[in-house]
Amino acid sequence: MTAATTKTQQEQWMVENQVFQIFDLFADLPRNAKSALVELQRDNHLEYLTKGLKRLDPSFCVLDANRPWLCYWILHSIALLGDYVEHEVEDNVVDFLSRCQDPNGGYGGGPGQLPHLATTYAAVNALITVGGERSLSSINRWSVMFEVSHFCNSAYWSHFEPNDMDSEIFCREKVYMFLKRMKQPSGAFRMHDAGEIDVRACYTAISVASVLNILDDELIQNVGDYILSCQTYEGGISGEPGAEAHGGYTFCGFATMILINEVNRLDLAGLLDWVAFRQGREGGFQGRTNKLVDSCYSFWQGGAFALLQRLHAILDEQLVNYSPQTGVASDISGGEESSDGVDDKTCHFKLGGTNASCPVNLNSIGYNFVKQPGEMEALYHRWALQQYILLCAQDMKGGLKDKPGKHRDFYHTCYSLSGLSLSQHSWSQDEDTPPLPNAVMGPYANLLERTHPLFNVVLDQYYEAHEFFDTP
Amino acid sequence: MHGQPRKAPKPEDEAASAAKAEKLRNLQSQFLCFHHNNIYSKEALEVSARLLENNPEYYTAWNYRKLAVEHRLTQSESDPDSDSDSVNSILNVELKVVESALRQNFKSYGAWHHRKWVLSKWQSSLDHELRLLDRFQKADSRNFHAWNYRRFVASLLNISEVDELQYTTDMINKNFSNYSAWHNRSVLLSNLLKRKAQGFFPKEKVLNEEYELVHQALFTDPDDQSGWFYHLWLLEQTVKADAPLLVSSWPAHDSNLILLGDSCLEDSALSPFNTFHSELGTIPLVVYFNKAVEGVNSSTISVESVLNTKGELTWKPLSTNNSQTAQVWVTYLNYPNIKLHSSEFYPVEVSVGHTPGIISSSGFHYSHPSRFAFKVFVRPFEKDLAGHGVEMVSWREDNFLLYESHSQESNPILSLDQLNIKDDHEESSSKWRAETIANEIALFRELLSEINCKIGKLTLARLLIAHDMMLSPIANKMVHSEEVIQLYSDLMKLDSPHSQYYKDERSLVLLQQITSNRESLLRYCFRHGDRTSSFLGNSICLRLNNISLSRMGSIEKLLWVQMLDLSHNELRSMEGLEAMQLLSCLNLSNNKLSSFTALGPLRLLKSLKVLDISFNEIGSHSIDTTRYLCSSPLSHTEEIDWSHDETVTGDVNQTNYWEAFLIFKDLNLTQLDIVGNAIADEKFKSFLVKIVPTLKWLDGQELQLH
Repeated sequence: MTAATTKTQQEQWMVENQVFQIFDLFADLPRNAKSALVELQRDNHLEYLTKGLKRLDPSFCVLDANRPWLCYWILHSIALLGDYVEHEVEDNVVDFLSRCQDPNGGYGGGPGQLPHLATTYAAVNALITVGGERSLSSINRWSVMFEVSHFCNSAYWSHFEPNDMDSEIFCREKVYMFLKRMKQPSGAFRMHDAGEIDVRACYTAISVASVLNILDDELIQNVGDYILSCQTYEGGISGEPGAEAHGGYTFCGFATMILINEVNRLDLAGLLDWVAFRQGREGGFQGRTNKLVDSCYSFWQGGAFALLQRLHAILDEQLVNYSPQTGVASDISGGEESSDGVDDKTCHFKLGGTNASCPVNLNSIGYNFVKQPGEMEALYHRWALQQYILLCAQDMKGGLKDKPGKHRDFYHTCYSLSGLSLSQHSWSQDEDTPPLPNAVMGPYANLLERTHPLFNVVLDQYYEAHEFFDTP
Repeated sequence: MHGQPRKAPKPEDEAASAAKAEKLRNLQSQFLCFHHNNIYSKEALEVSARLLENNPEYYTAWNYRKLAVEHRLTQSESDPDSDSDSVNSILNVELKVVESALRQNFKSYGAWHHRKWVLSKWQSSLDHELRLLDRFQKADSRNFHAWNYRRFVASLLNISEVDELQYTTDMINKNFSNYSAWHNRSVLLSNLLKRKAQGFFPKEKVLNEEYELVHQALFTDPDDQSGWFYHLWLLEQTVKADAPLLVSSWPAHDSNLILLGDSCLEDSALSPFNTFHSELGTIPLVVYFNKAVEGVNSSTISVESVLNTKGELTWKPLSTNNSQTAQVWVTYLNYPNIKLHSSEFYPVEVSVGHTPGIISSSGFHYSHPSRFAFKVFVRPFEKDLAGHGVEMVSWREDNFLLYESHSQESNPILSLDQLNIKDDHEESSSKWRAETIANEIALFRELLSEINCKIGKLTLARLLIAHDMMLSPIANKMVHSEEVIQLYSDLMKLDSPHSQYYKDERSLVLLQQITSNRESLLRYCFRHGDRTSSFLGNSICLRLNNISLSRMGSIEKLLWVQMLDLSHNELRSMEGLEAMQLLSCLNLSNNKLSSFTALGPLRLLKSLKVLDISFNEIGSHSIDTTRYLCSSPLSHTEEIDWSHDETVTGDVNQTNYWEAFLIFKDLNLTQLDIVGNAIADEKFKSFLVKIVPTLKWLDGQELQLH
């Protein structure tokens, strides 16, 4: 028997070596130097982010179809750091995103591009993060649309009624019409006209509808069936039926099921089992079985834990039927879903201390979810995750990266910080109690703003938007 | 959006990069102009192709090309000179554009989707698509876009699942660590086995081959995770039993139950294991399944007896969260008014599952109808002893005396064998199961003799447990317990971040070992030596104290226990204890209970009188760490009669102690020890006295009658 090693294993060892070298180095340092190393380099991060917003590096042109994403990643990161951008920059962002808005609803990856669900999600979240009347009402601003009209022939605009330009309800209806157009007979959503169908599309559609207060029974119809068909026997959720479970899709599918009030249909015990196994020796999470650690999963996988924390009632119930001997759910019945509770229109988690069998207002689920106290501790090694983010994913010159040896970018900055925030706040039982100092690795000044675990926008900004869109 | 290949910003590259960006911007604006004016000329198509080759993420251009294809196809239809070749060439161009886009970024959603769109309009040659896939899957064998596309092509072009299975074999042989291939394999195999496809029946033969394949991977690189995950899936396919089974009951089959009134006389002729004391006029009847079931009622379980004179029995799920699905169910038999000086045996026969309706939560029906019978002997009680008075129970060491059994006693601990259900038509497959697992055990022992591998140890431990569980009804002992306990002890050192998990598993094995046969269990049975206590009478105390338990288990074999000592362990939760319906005295002192919520299961123990939870950690932690093990009573809707309770608690604000309130209000404790917990101050104690009116002793002090 000769023990050869696979390439995957060699890569894994290389990453582990790099990570453990950092940890060993850290362990040998004197106390003062230690606390300096685990400090979040706020100023440098802010500088990196602010610069990025003002002038994007030319190499980012591959992201030209994803420009609202850049706005969201940067603005959300800045908001997590508790800072704001200058008014002028904010105005520019709002103007730019308005130009990405399609006259028939939804946002494209740039001016003149087709509306796309993912960029609609990014644009809406970015505008909520900017906040304020101008930004929030821009989701419905129509006059700006003409700025892009030099690309367009007039016929394209002929159906457009200028009288409705300032009508918020009409405009939000446009987003709604876009979402409806993306909805498939199967229940799932397409990313864009003639685009791909997957779990990502379901999440971005439902998240946007929920946060804009336009979610209704028609939009959620059969979405749950589609997500369920993507939960694999491993417990995680895949991008489309038949594929293997994946961290990003697991978060998307899981959050969607909560927002449509059907989360009890998922095998949560299996999901917990899968996601718990994705935290590796490095402290960070991997995205799939036997893949390398990557800081962005601090949010995608860590976020699933943040959601599970508030679902202990359903989790408890399901754990009764769980066989801990093999770690595999004992009730796998060839993909057949459990028959319970589909028509059961009660809230599946406790709502702010009220009676749990209340009638459901779909659009208040996201609000109530974050208002109720997390009564269960997060079930992953939070300290190890924070250590990985601060020591291994942080570029001391600003920005965060996937893993040691990689380069910083806005995507990893956004999702590392989002994951760090969830981890720091997972100790506090409710939003009014700040986390204890021992919940925050490094100096207490490392504490980030709280983010909404379903929408991933900073909580204060979320509340403002919630109030703003409160009208049905 | 994630995983974009991105170059490191080097100064010398910046100029080139800026020029490239400028070029792209130009392409974009040209493209948008064509797109918005619906121009599908050759030049316009060329611009969109160049744009996509440089930036495959530009999904608007993919849509434009779809429109262009539709446009050109319509044109060629109306053109009498066109033939199928021109259609082919239109669509071939699209495939080429996709290929060069994928070379730029093979994670582009838009590019893969465009290819699917083209293929669903017009079928390219199978070989061509498979060759393309081979190329991409060689470049990145874990790329999920490629795997998704592969499944799409396979279903579109009717490639058989057998061929696809062969492909995963090839991929695995090339690279053992490719978990995507293993996963696709498990999905394909599940389908093939389920429909018993040709060559895939019986499943035993197929699974044997799979074991061989995965062994190659595991033995080549035991540190790579992929094979182990597949092995776990295989083990699950090997041992899983879908249908729920009855595993034990109380009273046990063939037992003679002696029922005493509210007092009793010393009588050494009575077996203390079978003597039951009831003040309530009822006997609990408990059925214990191997998995949670629903549908237990008077039609699915019939009870033949003169004892239940009040018509139909009501079965209650023993569930801590109000669920109608539970592993353990209970009902109560009423015994008739006992006539003084008349002693009689009442036979009871219970038939389980002869009428369908008991279903596991995963939808499998209870399919092994079984029957058990016992006799109840009602001892008349003597009124003059009834008012004798209850005394405080002391857990002091010198009050216990090791139980010495009399061989003539019938002993309900053995009844498990009699309840064991033989399944004839599965005999050959159970033989295969046993052989397979024995084979695996031998292999992994060999592997571990050469290397120190934690996942190998964990797998071996699971295999040994599976082996013992399968043979335990026959061998009547856990032959591998020592080895498994040693493996978990090793793992606790080897993998300290997960030591709590291993400790829990070790506790379960230890309990299986203790309860595996009569001799070993009797070593833990004691007589409570406080002879003056008429309350306890003949009761036997099971003492599982000071054996490092972090989790309770094997409760199906302990349903007879009335007095239980679990002190000086590391228990954090009482999960499962709700099944012990006879329990009247429980010692949990010196454990790691951190909240009242952890005691939740005790609320279902209607006979519990004496409880010692002293020296735990209740109140020391602001956050409850046990909720994932044990549900909170507050997490479910419950009708709580606050108005009634307000009068009881008076000025004490029970909302401060709501957890304690919800636990204790349902119990009729006479004795409670709570000293040594952070919460147990004077204020809390006075609160307890008010909400538990039956309480006579608190922390060893006799309470003054109010």
